Amino acid sequence: MTDYVEAPPAIKFSEASAIIGTAPPVAENVTYERLLAAGSEPHNWLTYYGTYDGQRYSALDGIDTGNVQRLRPAWVFQCGSYGLHAGSSTYALEAAPLVVDGVLYLSGWDGWIWAVDAGTGQCLWQYKHAIPFDVSLCCGNVNRGVAVAKGRVFAASLNAHVIALDAATGEKVWDVTHGDVRAAESATVAPLLVKNLVIVGSSGGEFGVRGHLDAYDIDTGERVWRTYTVPKPGEPGSQTWPSDSPAWARGGGNTWVTGTYDPELNLLYWGTGNPAPDFDGEVREGDNLHTDSVIAVDVDSGHIRWHYQFTPHDLWDYDSNMEMILFEQDGRKLLAHFDKNGYFFVLDRTDGALVRVTPFADRITWGEISPTGDVTPLVYPDKEGEDVHFWPGPAGGKEWCHAAYSPRTNMFYVPVQDVGATVTRRRREFRESIPYWGASVTVDSADMAGQVKAFHAATGEEAWRWSWHLPISASVLATAGDLVFCGTPSGEFNAMDARSGELLWQFQTGSGHHSSPTTYSVDGRQYIAAPVGWGSWVEGFAPGMMGGPHGDALFAFALPE
Amino acid sequence: MTSDAAARSAVLSELGLDKQNRASMGRLLATGNIERATERPDGRMKAEIRIPPDELAWDPAVLVLPHGGDIDIALYNDDTNTHCALMPSNGGGRWIWLPVHSRGEVSINLDGPGCYWYSSNIGNDEGRGLFGAIVAMGEVPPDARLDRPAQPRPD
Repeated sequence: MTDYVEAPPAIKFSEASAIIGTAPPVAENVTYERLLAAGSEPHNWLTYYGTYDGQRYSALDGIDTGNVQRLRPAWVFQCGSYGLHAGSSTYALEAAPLVVDGVLYLSGWDGWIWAVDAGTGQCLWQYKHAIPFDVSLCCGNVNRGVAVAKGRVFAASLNAHVIALDAATGEKVWDVTHGDVRAAESATVAPLLVKNLVIVGSSGGEFGVRGHLDAYDIDTGERVWRTYTVPKPGEPGSQTWPSDSPAWARGGGNTWVTGTYDPELNLLYWGTGNPAPDFDGEVREGDNLHTDSVIAVDVDSGHIRWHYQFTPHDLWDYDSNMEMILFEQDGRKLLAHFDKNGYFFVLDRTDGALVRVTPFADRITWGEISPTGDVTPLVYPDKEGEDVHFWPGPAGGKEWCHAAYSPRTNMFYVPVQDVGATVTRRRREFRESIPYWGASVTVDSADMAGQVKAFHAATGEEAWRWSWHLPISASVLATAGDLVFCGTPSGEFNAMDARSGELLWQFQTGSGHHSSPTTYSVDGRQYIAAPVGWGSWVEGFAPGMMGGPHGDALFAFALPE
Repeated sequence: MTSDAAARSAVLSELGLDKQNRASMGRLLATGNIERATERPDGRMKAEIRIPPDELAWDPAVLVLPHGGDIDIALYNDDTNTHCALMPSNGGGRWIWLPVHSRGEVSINLDGPGCYWYSSNIGNDEGRGLFGAIVAMGEVPPDARLDRPAQPRPD
């Protein structure tokens, strides 16, 4: 009989580190009113896009075209990857860092959330949600960010939970199950806080998840409303699905990227994903509403007020989740959207009427969209076993990574991918939790390119482009210093002149960029926060870079003090 | 090639894949025992996991929970080397030293369903075999499921 000694008490793993354990209670005073006026406090980056309009523009001008050459790393935050985790070869740092009065909040892969001193990089606290390593992920082990208000940090987890943490300690306040992991649901979206609601989208379009958008009460986590993007039989839009099959129930249209919000109209503008199966349209005849659309959602009720479908009856995996940028032109309330299908849409955001549509990608062979919005498919997987090749490939002329808009230049700045793919229709039966693409897919590993392009908001004409030999798969940031920042898959982080596109500064970070850089200031010193860490759905947007170095660093760049 | 679980187990043993420094240097992962956690009336669960002498393996290597929730795990190091345990838990992993012939307690919280890992993260304990799984069974709450007819799952 062994006479056991008592082991030392178990500790939280983070206690065996230099992490402080608490953060200043700065988030207590973040209210809906402050979020509405987020642009008026440019030292902070209070919500996913910086402001509700999705412009990813900051009024900070401490770093400008005249001094950006002196930009250098002020600090670097790293975490590292250990043990088994979901999609362990695909983890990436994709988030948009939020900043509230000197505290930076960041989410990582596999359930990580951190609070970091925005001036020094010191980790203040960390939270790790335990994620099963067998969750179903279409596109890598990623998370796009958190939301902060009322003293709490809100996040969605890969196993489809929504959690609220105490922003001062990182301790969990509430936790609700948002989706069904057995149905291959996950969640990667950064929540959007509006009024007293936490708005969260769904992931799982490659597994036939029926997409939905949910609102939870900030204080309790109780679900206030859920809106499905694919209608049930008899509901508006159901006539765009076969009436004699369960296709609608597996129809996709997920909502995995954060929407924008117009408080005057009380409308959310949320993009929806591909129909399922992605490439086999014969099993889902019709336009398949509301997939590949923007839905304008009444934030109080969750009701869809109007929609615009960018790719009816999609056969190319052209999700429309990416940002809906709100801007005004000649007194008109407009919405700009750069779709995976390679076209730049401008809509009247009061009613969804098309104002203008023009191509923004260089090679578009899948089909054509006329100036009046009529869609003509040209190349698509039709016959079983027959290869077709088209541009843009399934990752699109632009992936989820975000464009920016500068009101100073009245231009949009767009990360562009120029990568094709070969797709062969391969029908399969639906099985819950098994990928449901309806095709064999091989994305090109050669003959690819990328650009950051600038477009005049007034006309849609291209103003300039900065070309790179690899697709650009990271979000753009625009600032009042007349600078545009964007990273590359090969690790370079770049600053360009917002008016000319001239490359003014470049720094090699050591790993590719697939995230959303933000900017803030502490004690008057401006920082550019750039999450770096190559991974995610690389086989979709740049398979020629599948062997690129992984990473997990947040660089904070600043001018010398 | 083996064709059923019994044959697989026999060949693993014959080749020495379930032992230290026979077929390979370490023990093939997840070749150890499987055990169910027990559930208390209040739904809280408990389990016992040991490290047998010279095996560099967890026993059980696979702990199965009837559902997600709170679990109290008693850990015993019967080995004559020092190990530790890094267990998954919501909020952050729990870590404990396991000196020679020691007993410790870890309480963790996991969502269900899904498969989680635990290990002794010192030296190469993980590569040699001290790498285990905790499996939470069950379904998500009804209100989190999709509003659609029941769908077929894999056979």
